[in-house]
Formats: sequence, structure tokens, C-alpha cells
Amino acid sequence: MDFIITILEQGLIYAILALGVYITYKILDFPDLTVDGSFPLGAAVTAALITRGMNPYLTLPVSFLAGVLAGICTGLIHVKCKVRDLLSGIIMMTALWTVNLYIAGTANVPLFSRDSIFKNDFLIGIVPESMKSYVTLIVVLILAVVCKIILDLYMNTKSGYLLRAVGDNETVVTALAKDQGNVKILGLAIANGLVSLAGCVFAQEERVFEISMGTGAIVIGLASVIIGTSIFKKISFVKTTTAVIIGSIIYKACVAVAIRNFEPQAMKLITAVLFLIILVISMERKTKVK
Amino acid sequence: MKKRVLAAVLATMMAATMMAGCGKSETKSEAKKDSYTIGIEQFAEHGSLDNCREGFLKGLEDEGIKEGKNLKIKYKNAAADMGTAGQISDSFVSDKVDLICAIATPSAQSAYNAAMDKDIPVIYTAVTDPVSAELADKDGEAVGNTTGTSDKLPIKEQLEMIRKMLPDAKKIGIMYTTSEANSVSAIKEYESLAKDYGFILVKKGISTTADVSLAADDLLSKVECITNLTDNTVVSSLPTILDKANAKKIPVFGSEIEQVKLGCLAAEGLDYIALGEQTGKMAAQVLKGEKKAEEMNYETIKKPGFYVNKKVASNLGIKVPDELSKSAVESFDEITASKKTEK
Repeated sequence: MDFIITILEQGLIYAILALGVYITYKILDFPDLTVDGSFPLGAAVTAALITRGMNPYLTLPVSFLAGVLAGICTGLIHVKCKVRDLLSGIIMMTALWTVNLYIAGTANVPLFSRDSIFKNDFLIGIVPESMKSYVTLIVVLILAVVCKIILDLYMNTKSGYLLRAVGDNETVVTALAKDQGNVKILGLAIANGLVSLAGCVFAQEERVFEISMGTGAIVIGLASVIIGTSIFKKISFVKTTTAVIIGSIIYKACVAVAIRNFEPQAMKLITAVLFLIILVISMERKTKVK
Repeated sequence: MKKRVLAAVLATMMAATMMAGCGKSETKSEAKKDSYTIGIEQFAEHGSLDNCREGFLKGLEDEGIKEGKNLKIKYKNAAADMGTAGQISDSFVSDKVDLICAIATPSAQSAYNAAMDKDIPVIYTAVTDPVSAELADKDGEAVGNTTGTSDKLPIKEQLEMIRKMLPDAKKIGIMYTTSEANSVSAIKEYESLAKDYGFILVKKGISTTADVSLAADDLLSKVECITNLTDNTVVSSLPTILDKANAKKIPVFGSEIEQVKLGCLAAEGLDYIALGEQTGKMAAQVLKGEKKAEEMNYETIKKPGFYVNKKVASNLGIKVPDELSKSAVESFDEITASKKTEK
């Protein structure tokens, strides 16, 4: 049972990251590598603030804003300097490595003795003893669901429609007399804000900031988005954002199964194979339906 | 529709394997206490860390705890990913192992975090600075149910040894990765000690393996000798640095035995197998109930050993002082091509 809880915890934390990747990859059609830098950015900001005694709940909006700034920078590089999408992400990812080191002070900041959003006097006061081992899961679940709902609501606003239009058909945006560049920057800002928020939550759950924690974050995000969207492609009552969250949990379950049952050296290979199996199954179904 | 059923079956199977795993291990660890289950969590594939693990098992064996006899080992490797490290720690905790052995700082932190409220002792090794990793307090006392060994470099002894080998050298170079906390803290100590031995320290920070070659060229044009830390990125690219240094006849000093085998001139340094053994003995005390992890201070390697590579010395035309060569724990007469060849 503990094991399932761990998967859900990890899956839901990375689900927030996956929601961000969903905006750039699926909606904007923008392969955004900034993620590898903005994920630890959130963690670095969190570590710097918590070690200075800030209330852990306040780190959530601050980390989000830090990510928004990173996203805006990527957007400006792409739109204003006319650098290719992939490259502008790489540039920001590289720059953020140093920024993260400066923000956190060193490459590794432990937070064991500090309060976190999962462990503080307020929570200890209101949570009954029997629920103690579920606290982390409940907090993460609330965060992920809130992010999802806000994102869903936003997508139905005018600005949200424009965002979706940029990815599908850029001329529509221009025809509406809107600058599609600004819409792209907005999308990148929101996406990286979410990614950074995930980094903030992850750092508090693991109670440590480590500079290398962002390496491969984009891969996990993409995998979650693709698994989620392809499994639920034909089930119309499941919102894409929900599908992405479930995709993230499935991805983490794959990793967990690989960790549990196979040689340590084989782990990455097994994860890749499980990933492939899920993709192939869902794709075959699509062709059959046609 | 069929495929959707298949997907559901697959998911159920995955869940079932996980459950099966849980059940099996729980019954085992609840068996009598004359046999133990240890979860070993290593952060990455790395020569020195592998040596730690090997030494750890040897240390346990010396205390009568032998794999296959009264010890069951679960070994997992996080492949240098923090998320995976967290999942591994949690899986050990949910398996209720008797003890977690964590190798390298990120793994140690993640294991400590997972086992904090669960009464599972965590014994770490290859953590350079347990104090700044918040695994021990300022006096070296454990902060929780965790203790272990540090692979802090004997920097004073190293500088003293280099001074003896190269009486005239002035500038000493070090290459390090700016993102490795261990290296940054070692650099600080070098900075404060170098002038005591009449050296000027030239440091060169890099961020990735790709920078090593350029940085080495730059560094070699400025210094008379180079000394190494236990920096993962630099040590993995050691052959590149050695090639360039040899071409310029500049000696490179190592920080542990494997580096000397590979072609560093000498080291006053660590033997990770010995460090692992020391850790294994601490773990045995905890397992047998003689001591609790929280009562034990963390330990450093008791005495650094001097290692020298005679072949390299003759290539460079450097004479190793008799006093030093007599005290050598081990000297090598050849340069090994790769770390792993002898195993």
C-alpha cells in the first residue's frame, strides 16, 4: 500500500510539470527545453526562501512567478530575437543552470530541519493521527487538481482560445488582430510557471535541492503527456488535462515496476520498453477504429 | 475495444507485480532476527562508488554477516536521477528492510528523508560533508537515525606530499565542476591551506564533460602541477587530462588509489574499498543491536594511504623521495588502461 501511495505522490507532483509541458508541446506545438532549467529553478527558489525562514506556502506563488519569468525570457528570445524554438529553449536551459546555482548558493541544499508544505505546525494541528501517512498525498492531490481546474477554466476564456489558436492555426490569431508572438510568450510563461511550481513541490517533498534534479525533466513531462493523451484519445468525456495527470502517474508506475523487479542496470531500458508498449497499444486502437 | 481491455489487463498486471513484491518482502523481514535484509541504494554507476559497495559487503562479512547466509541484499541504482532516488528510498521503506545503506550524498539525503519517521537506520558512505548535507550536526553527532562515513579528502596531507615531491613548484592547478557541492567545499579548503605550503592555487571551474578538454589546455598553460579532487565529472575524464599533461610533462596528482592506477603520479588519499569496509562494520554494529545509528558519530577514513605510480614518475623524470616511497601503502609499476580491468 505504501508503494502505491509513493507512485501517486510522485506521479501527481510530476503531473503539475506535465500540465506545463502539455501547454507548450500539445497546445503551442513548441518543443520547450526550458523545462530542464525551470524545474530546478522552482526548487532553488524554494530552498533559498525556506532556509531564510519564509512560510513554505508562500514559496508556491513565488516559485510560480520565477518560472513565469523564465518562460517570458524563452518567449522573448524566440519571438523578438527570432531564434528557433528548440534553440531558445536550450539557451534558457543553459542559462538557468547558473541562475539556479546563484539562487540556491550551492549545488545541494538540504531542508530536513525546516518546515515544508507537507510538515508544519498548522498541518500537525489539524490532521488526525490516523491520516498522518496520507498527508503528503492529499496535499499533492489538492495542488495538482487545483492547477488542472484553473488551467481548464483559463482555456475557456478568450485568452485561452487565442492560445489554442496559435498552435492550430496562426493566421486565425492574426486575423483577429492579435499579435501571435505575445500569445506565444504568454503560453510559455504559464507553462514554465507550472513546471517551476512542480519543482517547488518536489524539493519540499524530497526535502533537498540538488542542481542536477532537472536533468531529464522534459523527457518525463513529454512521456506523461503522450501516454495520457494517447490512452484517452477516444474517450471524450475525459478532459485532456485529466489524461495528462493520469499519464504522469502511469509513467511513474512504469519506473516503479522497473525499480522493483529488475536489475539496476536494466532500469532505464525496462522503463523505455514499458513506455513503448503503452504507446503501441493505444496507437493500434486508433487505426482499428478507423 | 479489445485493445482497451488489453491495456486494462496490463495495468492490473503491473499493479499485481507491485503488490506481489510488497507481500513477499514483508514476510521475509518479519522472520527471525538472525538474518537481515539490507537495501543498498547507490546514486550512480561510478568506479569509486562501486568500490564503496564492495567494501561495505566485505566489512559486513568480517563481522559474520554474509550475503546468502544470513543476509539478503537488495541493490538499486538511481542512475543519477533524484526522482528515481526518491522512489528507491520509498520502496525500501515500504519493504521494511532492516537497514538502508546509501552511497553518495543525494542518495543519503533521500534515504534519510524517506526513513525519517519509520525507525529504519540509514548508514551512508561517500558523503563528503555530512554536516552541510544536514545528516550530522556541527559536532559530528547524528541528527537522526543515521550515521556513516565521509570521504572527505585529506587535503593537508596531500599538499604536504606534493611539496615533498616537487620542492620548487609554485603554482598548483585544480579542475572542478561548479555544480558539485563536494568539490566546491574541497576547493575552499585548498584555498585556505595552499599558502601554508607555499603554493598559489589556480582553479578552473567547468560545468560538463564537454568542457574538460578546453579547460585542461588552459589550466596546463598556467601551472606546474595539477591535483585532483573526487569530482565525478573530472575523474571520469581523467584520461583526457592525463594525455594533455603528459605531453607537457606536467605531473597530475590523484585523490584516491584508482586514479593512481590510471596514471596519476601519486596520491595521499582514499581507498574507497577500505572506506566501505569501515562503513560495513558500523552497519554490523547497528544490525546486531550493539549500538543505535543515532548514537554513533560519522567517521572519516582513519589514515590516508600514500599511493605512487613508479612508471609515471620515471616517465616524468621525477624522483620519488625515499622517505615517501618507503611509506607507500601500494606502488604501481604500470599504468592501467581502465578502472575496471582488474575486476
